[in-house]
Amino acid sequence: MAYEIEPRHQARRREQIFTIGVASVFGLLILQLFSLQVLQGDKYGELSEENRIRVEVLTAPRGEIRDRKGRLLADNVPSFTVTIDPFDKVYVHDPALLDSTIARVSRIVGLDPEVAFDKVKRERTQSFLAIRLKRNLDLASVAYIAEHRAELPGVEVEAEPLRRYPLGPFASHLLGYVGEVSDKELEDPKFASTYLRGDLIGRMGIERQYEKILRGVDGKRFVEVNALGRKADLLGDRQPILPKRGEDITLSIDLDLQRAAEEAFQPGARGAVVAMDPRTGAVLALVSKPNYDPNEFSTGITQARWEELSQGGNYPLFNRAIQASYPPGSTLKPFVALAGLSLRAISPMTVFSDPCYGYYQFGRRRFGCWDHEGHGWTSLRSAVAHSCDVYFYQLGLRIGLDRLSTFMKNLGVMEKTGIDLPQERRGLFASPAWYDKHYGAGRWSKGLILNLAIGQGESSLTPVKLAQLTCVIASGGTLWKPHILEKVSRDGRDDRSAMPRADSLETHLDFASKDMTAVRDAMVAVVADGTGYQAKVDSIIVAGKTGTAQNPHGQDHALFICFAPASHPEIAIAVMVENAGHGSTAAAPVAQKVMQAYFHPAPPDSSGKVKTQTVASRSGT
Amino acid sequence: MIAPRLTADIDRPLFLTTILLALIGIAFVFSATAMQTAQVEHGLYLKQFLWLGLALAGAAATAAVPYRIYEGKTAWLLYAIALLLLALTLVIGHVGLGAQRWLGWGPLKFQPSEIAKIAVVLVLASMLAAKRIDLTHLPTLFKTLLAAAVPFLLVLKQPDLGTSLCFIMVVLTMLYWAGLPMLYLFLLLSPILNGVLSFYLPAWILFALVLAFVLYRSRLRLWTVVLVVVVNLAVGIATPHVWNHLEPYQKQRISTFLDPSADPYGAGYQIIQSKIAIGSGGVTGKGFMHGTQKGLEFLPEQHTDFIFSVVGEETGFLGAAFVTVLYMVLILRGVRIARRARNRFGSLLAIGLTAVFLYHVLVNVCMTVGLAPVTGLPLPLLSYGGTSLLTSFLQIGLIQNVAMRWREY
Repeated sequence: MAYEIEPRHQARRREQIFTIGVASVFGLLILQLFSLQVLQGDKYGELSEENRIRVEVLTAPRGEIRDRKGRLLADNVPSFTVTIDPFDKVYVHDPALLDSTIARVSRIVGLDPEVAFDKVKRERTQSFLAIRLKRNLDLASVAYIAEHRAELPGVEVEAEPLRRYPLGPFASHLLGYVGEVSDKELEDPKFASTYLRGDLIGRMGIERQYEKILRGVDGKRFVEVNALGRKADLLGDRQPILPKRGEDITLSIDLDLQRAAEEAFQPGARGAVVAMDPRTGAVLALVSKPNYDPNEFSTGITQARWEELSQGGNYPLFNRAIQASYPPGSTLKPFVALAGLSLRAISPMTVFSDPCYGYYQFGRRRFGCWDHEGHGWTSLRSAVAHSCDVYFYQLGLRIGLDRLSTFMKNLGVMEKTGIDLPQERRGLFASPAWYDKHYGAGRWSKGLILNLAIGQGESSLTPVKLAQLTCVIASGGTLWKPHILEKVSRDGRDDRSAMPRADSLETHLDFASKDMTAVRDAMVAVVADGTGYQAKVDSIIVAGKTGTAQNPHGQDHALFICFAPASHPEIAIAVMVENAGHGSTAAAPVAQKVMQAYFHPAPPDSSGKVKTQTVASRSGT
Repeated sequence: MIAPRLTADIDRPLFLTTILLALIGIAFVFSATAMQTAQVEHGLYLKQFLWLGLALAGAAATAAVPYRIYEGKTAWLLYAIALLLLALTLVIGHVGLGAQRWLGWGPLKFQPSEIAKIAVVLVLASMLAAKRIDLTHLPTLFKTLLAAAVPFLLVLKQPDLGTSLCFIMVVLTMLYWAGLPMLYLFLLLSPILNGVLSFYLPAWILFALVLAFVLYRSRLRLWTVVLVVVVNLAVGIATPHVWNHLEPYQKQRISTFLDPSADPYGAGYQIIQSKIAIGSGGVTGKGFMHGTQKGLEFLPEQHTDFIFSVVGEETGFLGAAFVTVLYMVLILRGVRIARRARNRFGSLLAIGLTAVFLYHVLVNVCMTVGLAPVTGLPLPLLSYGGTSLLTSFLQIGLIQNVAMRWREY
């Protein structure tokens, strides 16, 4: 016999309670149906017949970008965007009409209809939002569309903030640009949940690096559009969600230095400049030449123009300051000298047994010095000042490849600097293990050390790495992680919580101060009476080093590193000019102009002149 | 074989409403996908027909074997398999609608949460059917809750809040049916109410007073009272603090989690369009196949999650109310069967499965008429979806199983 642990009447009572509960919930549902279909049936019937409900995205303006003195580098201006709603009632009944409307709008705004068809086809599957056909419409098109709105169902002109770079191509690589999010990016879970097709996203530079801070949050509202125009928020079902503006960013960049560095290049020249403050690791200027105008991307760039920029001979989109690595040439010599001193291979007074006859005999091979006249017997100071290769061949041999490559590795030569910009490349300084791996164990000559010691061969550095290393000497041993972001603010007030978490920015490397002093003195001599005389600045003692990197593909690259004032450095600079020949004549003058702008800024009235120039150049774009 | 006496006890209203709803479903899947502009293949209703055949066979099979073989070990085995599949979904599942809910080989995909629902009902029924069970004994109560909490958390992690809450609904319904006093149900729910109300001080004070009064009158064991008070105080104090210390994006994530219509993908737009579709149906509807809203593509799930809006638009208030009443009849029959069954396990099994049904119907229909957020739960029997139809019929088969053998102890 089974058990019964409770009387039947309790079960019946529970059934009653359940029945009443279920019946009242379903009663409520039927009441809601009654309200929607019977009481408000006419209203909804009308909505379904005549009116068009659509979701309107309220695009959040991106945060502004300013330099360290508060000068504007990127902001937003109002602009018009033409959109089409492919879910408009008319198109449901007559899908063919959609294509003809798209074709007509494309003609009006000057868009390739095929591109527009493709865009609508791809984007309609993702959301119910109207699709942006073209941004930054000219006023004539806006007026034409407004006049013919009756013939263009579902087509709207909406106001949207447009990203603007008031200085045009200035600092383009540093800032980056914005463009429509790509399908590939949408596959990335990082973006997939927060971006819709057609949304703008930061590309390259600061725009990409700090996309999260700058972007803000788009809002939306439901609007009812009818033949007479529009009535906003008519449904009252949902409150509009207001857009949240992105946060503003202040950079450590000094626009005056940036401008001086950019203007120091000849038109059409290719190269890079990175200036840092060796006391803080802040980046003061970061230049890559040639530039491009980031404004071109904000409005949607054509395929042809994109190909021209990304593939056309000079690769203007390529950020040479962080993405290109070059053999450092003689700019590496101060670091080799520092290696020799701190490894006790030499003292500042050491003179090698072989004098410089313009070449050095190594076994059966002759290694030339750049100066065929020869430098004779030299000590460290004059070897650096006159960039004597023969001295450094012998120094390299004395240190040995093992120790030199370990020293360079400890100096961080092989690693990225960690600058807050995307897509940085790393450098190289070959070690025995590297040669074993690439050339085969024992299949490489001991003579390779000679080339490495003068910064040629299997050694290459990005300009930003070179600037970072220059800071090590300038600061007496601090390896800074270069950083550009100074602060984040909202409505003029600092927002510390939005700052990316700062891991330690500095690594202290242990060097004896007398070794540092010896290297610095040698670098002072470079500018005072050596190869770097073109970097002299009035009333300031500059320490520098020229470099000329042999380039198997063409003319040599010119390099220069420097810091000043030599006794208590405030600025450290690395300059690279592609295929420009000698560092002393092509690169040192660029650094000189940056230092001039730093130590002897032009009086205010002449900077006003520069301002009008940029306005003129902007109206030209 | 099923003895003639057994087939005589098949619950006819339940049988008829089930078949009727499934046929209505196929008709409207046909209507929803027949549009020229529809983005899905047009032959879906045929597929659904084939699935219906399979589902009927499945239901017959589950009804034929005496339900008591599921009690105990079989239930736990199924439960273990379900949990394993849920865990597997988290690791290798297919992502749909931003959550990992699906598991499958080749073209065959299914949601392990569908199996988990049945398994949890079986396990809970087994536990609660034990002789001389005392649910006011706290360890027993917590063990029962734990059995539902594990799948709840696994599904929540997918994340699928809509489906996970089903487990809560089921365990509370079954506890009540098994004899847990209302007082205990209230106390169980009190920390949740507490957390929600703690954001609004007057409501929270009122709640605290009610709780204090109830506890004072309850004559519970002292340490039970202390436990309730401590948990409530902890939740009440901690919730606003935790909330305030969340990063803005975390808050945003939680809000979107609770109300998906706040997301940028236009789920709110779906609800408005669904309301327009249903409302524009008026009293008698626009006629079968004559709906105009459905072709808008505004609902990519119009033949699945939003099938009820197509019914509402094309058949009007009369049709929509009719379908609603059919569901009500189906659920009330489930309750009746549960009450009539003499075997405690069978009774609990029937009420648990009925609760699963009720939950799904309410959540889906409330969504389409704008009373609940978009959750992505299908409407059982009506929505397109082979595995969903199959599991619905398996559940009905089990309920019929209990109905046929109501005399057995």
